[in-house]
Amino acid sequence: MAQSFKTLLSEDKATTRTLLHEAIPITGTIVSGTYDDENIKYFSHGMYEAVYDYPYLSSSANHIFDITCGYASGSDFQDSSNEQDTKKINIYNQMAQVLVGYDVDGAIQQFDVDGNLGGGAKMTSCYFLNFARLLVKDEIKKNSFRFDFYANNDKTDAFDPDARDGKVTIGDYDAQTEYLTNSPAGEYGLLYTSSADPLSDGESVVGHVYYQAGIVVLTSSVILGGIPTTETDGTPLVHASDTGSAQDGFESLTINENANAIRYAYDNIDFNNTIELNSTIYFCRANNTEYNYSSNPTYLSDSEIIVKGNNPTANPVSYITTVGLYSPDNELLAVAKLSEPLKKTPSNELTLRVRLDY
Amino acid sequence: MAFLDNSGDIILDAVLTDAGRKRLARGDGTFKVTKFAFGDDEIDYGSYNTSHASGSAYYDLEILQTPILEAFTNNRSSLKSRLISLTNNNLLFLPALVLNENDLNEDTQRTEDGAGNPLSSGSFLVSVNANTNTDLGEIALIGAKGYIVGNQILKKGVSRYIRVDQGLNTTKLSAGKPLSTELTERQYMIQIDNRLGTINDFKNQGSPAFIDDDQIATYYITMGVGNYVSVLPPGELDGGTDPMNGPAGDYQVIPGPRGTSLQFGIGASDNLKSSTYLFETIGETGISAPGPSATFSTINTTVKVTGVTTGYTLDIPITFVRTST
Repeated sequence: MAQSFKTLLSEDKATTRTLLHEAIPITGTIVSGTYDDENIKYFSHGMYEAVYDYPYLSSSANHIFDITCGYASGSDFQDSSNEQDTKKINIYNQMAQVLVGYDVDGAIQQFDVDGNLGGGAKMTSCYFLNFARLLVKDEIKKNSFRFDFYANNDKTDAFDPDARDGKVTIGDYDAQTEYLTNSPAGEYGLLYTSSADPLSDGESVVGHVYYQAGIVVLTSSVILGGIPTTETDGTPLVHASDTGSAQDGFESLTINENANAIRYAYDNIDFNNTIELNSTIYFCRANNTEYNYSSNPTYLSDSEIIVKGNNPTANPVSYITTVGLYSPDNELLAVAKLSEPLKKTPSNELTLRVRLDY
Repeated sequence: MAFLDNSGDIILDAVLTDAGRKRLARGDGTFKVTKFAFGDDEIDYGSYNTSHASGSAYYDLEILQTPILEAFTNNRSSLKSRLISLTNNNLLFLPALVLNENDLNEDTQRTEDGAGNPLSSGSFLVSVNANTNTDLGEIALIGAKGYIVGNQILKKGVSRYIRVDQGLNTTKLSAGKPLSTELTERQYMIQIDNRLGTINDFKNQGSPAFIDDDQIATYYITMGVGNYVSVLPPGELDGGTDPMNGPAGDYQVIPGPRGTSLQFGIGASDNLKSSTYLFETIGETGISAPGPSATFSTINTTVKVTGVTTGYTLDIPITFVRTST
């Protein structure tokens, strides 16, 4: 009986899991500069601002990350007279709920500097960088996150890129073996400078990177000097801190103005994302006796097989360009195309490996 | 779709079809790959040159250089022609599907193209309602060849129908013997746009096995189930009639060994019977035919017949017609 379909047996199928990584560089010129802030989207609620890789009104713009900030209720910076006090508390609590979770009494836990929730210093006022799924994909690769920024800026001048100073690089160094798992949002690593030794001093940590959530939490003390920033209409602002920290900004600036301060301190972010590919591989085997004829209308001339050249004893020949995967009721579910025709004759056998990724 | 880069290693570009994605999204377990087939859609075997001066190594030089397109995601656009497995490597002929229009009663013929009537365009004309039958009667198309009553299921001969014969379409072999069992089709697949029409065996309307995301209904027709498939009798052609079956019997079109014959009627969908919407969106309206005051709307489509065993396909042109009255 002639056949054009061949049943896939259990040994003709295999499943695999592969982790792919892409390098994601986000340069400072995108975050502030190139597009004259037309790629920064503000919202009327003022809870966060969104950064796009192109002016966001364009259909080709991609959302890349959000910036926001907040502090814990009752923390040093918190005061009911502060600008957007309630919203800053809301943001902190929201992020802490998701990333740190609750204690045994159901209270929201605060971000712990060294990740040991049992005690030690807490990060009670934080900046948050929430990366889009487009960049993070399934997760950020451990020990790949690096953030370059200017920590010690001139606090007396109006905003001027040239006034930025004190460039530092923080990263999740050694996180491939030193990451933490006590977050309800998955695994996270500690952010610190390469020269720091947080495992011994327990104090030099300046933030966390949550790998699966794609969120970076930075303590407000990463900003050591003044906070040159702008209002949402671009008006320059300089907020000098009496304490030499970001306290002044957290108290008197809006969330968006604090986010702008981070954008102007920002120099570069690099990380590798991770894509988990689950694949099914179908081994489509053509034995020597199979698939040597074709139903292609050009295969016949008045029912006579052209490639035989009127010689019945000549071997039939066919050419494979396409593999179709079918359901039991013969509906075409997937198609694979070869980059060039493969010759099939009774003297050869072929196994084509078709991989479907999910 | 672009061509695949064929300058280096052979690569395989695999995608889910739209139908595959739809089944995956349904989450009901219907996305299940159980079989595969190979296709050769881009290959023109006419380029196979068995008399190449440089020898047999050059016979398929042009074929092997054929650039291959990237995979289409439309499930109807790929695997148009499949490779087939046959145990006998010494075959010189393969069967084809041929539209049989040799019936002397003109029951199975298409309308004549260029007959001076815009509705007569070389396709089968399917009326969608009784008014259309009446108006077509005014211009003597009712009862004329190629005209199928689509608003009800009628017996063969009362309405026209479609007949596809399978066999070796060659005069080099005698029709005195039947086609070998290995090459004889016992199951056919018929695909028709489900928005437009259905198929029937002159008694009952068929049930599609599935309707894909493009609203293409697939019917499986098996010999012995319904009145669709019959074995063709052997016998030499004689002026278009089959002497083995008598003058009013089966008029044959296959000059060589014959396999089976598929015969079916076309019905109009309820959409076409009750609404002009599809005629206005995907058809042509305001067509004046000589004679009647009515104008007509038409939708041109094709019905695809595939032999499940050999994979051979045949596209049959169909025109659904509706009167304005």
